[in-house]
Amino acid sequence: MRAIECNVACCSVCHHIVKMPSKKGIAICPRCKEEVTYRKTNSIQHTWALVIASIVFYIPANMLPMMHVQTFAGTQSDTIISGVIYFLHSGSYLIASVIFIASIIVPITKLMILIYLLISLQIKNTKNKIKKKKLYALTELIGKWSMVDVYVVAIMIALVHFGGLSEIKAGQGANYFLLVVILTMLAAIRFDVRLIWDIKEDNAT
Amino acid sequence: MSEHIVCCHECDELVAIPHPYREGRFKCPQCGSLLFRHKSGMIEKMYALSLSALVLFGATNYFPFLSFEVASNVTEANFFTSVLYLSKDGEYILSLAILMTTIVIPLLRIVLFLALFAPLYYKHIPSYATHTLKILEYSTPWGMLDVFLIGVLVSLVKLVKMGSIIAGTSLWAFGVLVFVIAYMQVTYNPHQIWDLIDNNKGSK
Repeated sequence: MRAIECNVACCSVCHHIVKMPSKKGIAICPRCKEEVTYRKTNSIQHTWALVIASIVFYIPANMLPMMHVQTFAGTQSDTIISGVIYFLHSGSYLIASVIFIASIIVPITKLMILIYLLISLQIKNTKNKIKKKKLYALTELIGKWSMVDVYVVAIMIALVHFGGLSEIKAGQGANYFLLVVILTMLAAIRFDVRLIWDIKEDNAT
Repeated sequence: MSEHIVCCHECDELVAIPHPYREGRFKCPQCGSLLFRHKSGMIEKMYALSLSALVLFGATNYFPFLSFEVASNVTEANFFTSVLYLSKDGEYILSLAILMTTIVIPLLRIVLFLALFAPLYYKHIPSYATHTLKILEYSTPWGMLDVFLIGVLVSLVKLVKMGSIIAGTSLWAFGVLVFVIAYMQVTYNPHQIWDLIDNNKGSK
């Protein structure tokens, strides 16, 4: 038996089972005094908005430099991709793959999974529910790992500041990349997995 | 033996679970996702872990985790220096994000865990328990110390070519801290505390 069929909902904070007043109601959880609804409100719209915003920010995040390395020989600016290529050339394959996975594969996978889930909800595709649930769990799990590149930039800035000798400054790309990470994490939080399991009932009625 | 009804967050299935709980994991029969883990001694473990996490957090922030030397110029980095230099350069968004995800939120979570589990260990339910549990629930995805550790390791390898780099004391404390926090995350079972709060209300 599902909660929504029994007119009860689960509190998102304390997981108390709350009796709902009506089919589309809002209740206050008696245990933790938090607002309880059947599903996250406007989950699909909010997730779409956040997904689109992060796609938009992902473009400057890749085009603009993440950091500028100033030495007496001149200034060198590195974007995400040029950083990866630099490490491939210098033979640090491990670092190249860490950066590549964290800053390119993880955000793109996250966005692709969310878009796939949103579209399959909207066209009422009922197949592979378990798989979809696992994909969503994956987006939640990998969400924060794309911050690695931002942290690397921050640590390098903290360590390399020798006046004219060599200095590292953050580029605009780092800001946009940070926004991409935060927005995709918010998108994953806003998405309501339970909607995947709701589709069956829509078809039956 | 009574039954407790638990709702699966993933598929909204209502699951009846016999109470008192057996040890181990409980899974949703419909979708197979983890409902919760039940372990005896959760409160004692969490109390011990949060205390050690607090000590380790202090050590990690007090000592530099990396020092870097180029042509007899030495710089040292700890958590706060990266925030400091970023804000000096006018990168306020970046420095704020790093301050929040690596210092404020992890410290807040450790302190809240300690404030929650220390009284619970002495069989007293603090009056602020509900609020604490709420904040802990919302802040879960935003503590990113484990990601920061990978960031430190990557920059360590990156900088090796530019000069001599020395890993400091606090890098070891930091590595242990990440494991302690991960172990806390696995042990922590808010259901058990909510049940305690419920029982307490019932007895009054």
